[in-house]
Amino acid sequence: MSVLPGSHPKILRKSGISANNRDRLISIASPIMLLLLWEILVRIGILDARFFPAPSKVFETLLVLIKDGSLWANTWASLQRLFWGFLLGGLPALILGIAMGLNHTLRALIDPLVATTYPIPKSAIFPLILLIFGLDEASKVVMVAIGVFYPVLVNSMTGVLEINSIYLDVGRNFGANRWQVFRTIAFPGAVPHIMSGVKLGVGMGLILIAIAEMIGAKSGLGFMIWNAWEILSVETMYVGLIVIALLGFLFSMTLTEVEREIIPWKKTR
Amino acid sequence: METTLTTPDLHTTSGDQPVKIRLRNLTKQFTTGGGPVTALDDVSLDIPSGCFFMIVGPSGCGKTTLLRILAGLDTPTSGSVEVSEPAAGRPGNSMVFQGGSLFPWMTVFENAAYGLRMRKRPKAEINEVVGHYLSRTGLSKFSHAYPHQLSGGMQQRVSIARAFSNDPDILLMDEPFSALDEQNKLLLQEELLRIWEETRKTVLFITHSVDEAVTLGDRIMIMTAQPGRTKQIVDVPFARPREVLELRALPAYGELVYSIWGQLREEVQRARTQDEGSVKS
Ligand SMILES: Nc1ncnc2c1ncn2[C@@H]1O[C@H](COP(=O)(O)OP(=O)(O)OP(=O)(O)O)[C@@H](O)[C@H]1O
Ligand SMILES: [Mg+2]
Repeated sequence: MSVLPGSHPKILRKSGISANNRDRLISIASPIMLLLLWEILVRIGILDARFFPAPSKVFETLLVLIKDGSLWANTWASLQRLFWGFLLGGLPALILGIAMGLNHTLRALIDPLVATTYPIPKSAIFPLILLIFGLDEASKVVMVAIGVFYPVLVNSMTGVLEINSIYLDVGRNFGANRWQVFRTIAFPGAVPHIMSGVKLGVGMGLILIAIAEMIGAKSGLGFMIWNAWEILSVETMYVGLIVIALLGFLFSMTLTEVEREIIPWKKTR
Repeated sequence: METTLTTPDLHTTSGDQPVKIRLRNLTKQFTTGGGPVTALDDVSLDIPSGCFFMIVGPSGCGKTTLLRILAGLDTPTSGSVEVSEPAAGRPGNSMVFQGGSLFPWMTVFENAAYGLRMRKRPKAEINEVVGHYLSRTGLSKFSHAYPHQLSGGMQQRVSIARAFSNDPDILLMDEPFSALDEQNKLLLQEELLRIWEETRKTVLFITHSVDEAVTLGDRIMIMTAQPGRTKQIVDVPFARPREVLELRALPAYGELVYSIWGQLREEVQRARTQDEGSVKS
């Protein structure tokens, strides 16, 4: 009988697939179980609904906020600030970081400034930013920009410094000028590091936009959460938290996808 | 036997060809954690235009350092380097680097086209020239692949195509064939000889293989163990164009290889005893 030799690899393959599926099932099921447990605990009165409203209630509020358009308006306001903040902070950081990686004079000049200002909690300088840029859009955009600036700068610089020096030798030997070295060697060689800088920057930007909008804004997700506290609508607060978490998740998913697109030399393994 | 072994002193003036590269008392020291290391010590050399010049010597004797100085990537500690001007519009030199020097973020074609692109040559010319050398190195099918998708030998061939496509006045080749299997090495040696016959560029070619040195070269410099000096410069008398396998069947070929091996072995052994000495002390 040929049962043994034939069935053996099949069993192996089967168990491989089912283990995979089981993991996926667990990772879908676990949040659902948690929400269900939460719902039950609130209904039987073990969890205090004033602090932990039942998921069903939060969902109701979510629908209401979608319908009256305020959720979208606040999300859009935050997204715009994030976008401009990213551009304002990320682009100069990218260029300066790469330039610092290539030029040691520039690095010697700017590195100490970065090292001394980097550790200052960005939230601590918000009052100063408010003072300088006022209560309008500018102060929030600047906050995001500052948060994004540092991780992108430091990672771009590190990325260039870690490029194997033989690549720069090739550039020199084949007559690449400064700009060509920047474009064909420093930037592509540093892209993996730059991407991790951008990811850190996105996280920082989300934290700072929430804080900035709580204090000096009349719109945005941070404002929505803060306002919910003032009018004691805990459900709205939760909706705000969920949307921020969702944004963070979507950003990181998108960046991972972008990374795979622009680093094709690491994609196919 | 027609083999001529000559000391470097007799070669300070060259024969019929004008001198392309003139080195005088070239010395290079590196400062390292364990004190200064003399990589090159008082090397003086004339290389005639159009010469296929081979460099052999024990590992660590300063061969790569010599090429890097000629390429302008390192500066000598003392001594002088004179290189005659390339023809207008042609780059001075292009190097085939030892080991992985292809840009991982560029395809095979982009890597091979690098020099021409940096010099902003027209697209049609780039496509034609790069296509030509990719096909001569057997890589046409892989022009859109990335380096990590190639074998070590194929990567080395891209790096050769990159240097040739750039059409430099002087080719600097740092052990270009050492990562290749014997069959491909033979094919590429023949190919290189054929391309060289057409262009008659000045070539400086580092190798560990005495066979390769005698097969390809007009002149062979044997270097001493570190610190690297010129031990001997040997003329290779074989006529061109050469057929690699026919050449290797000649008795004179074997004799020349044997005599160079003798010189080289002394140095390799010296390098070894130096090494053991430094471990003991
Ligand atoms: N950047 C550097 N810093 C310090 N020492 C160096 C440097 N580059 C080379 N050396 C030293 O100079 C000597 C010559 O090195 P080089 O690379 O020229 O040798 P090589 O003849 O090419 O050897 P191989 O045949 O193994 O490639 C070695 O002792 C090496 O340790
Ligand atoms: Mg070497």
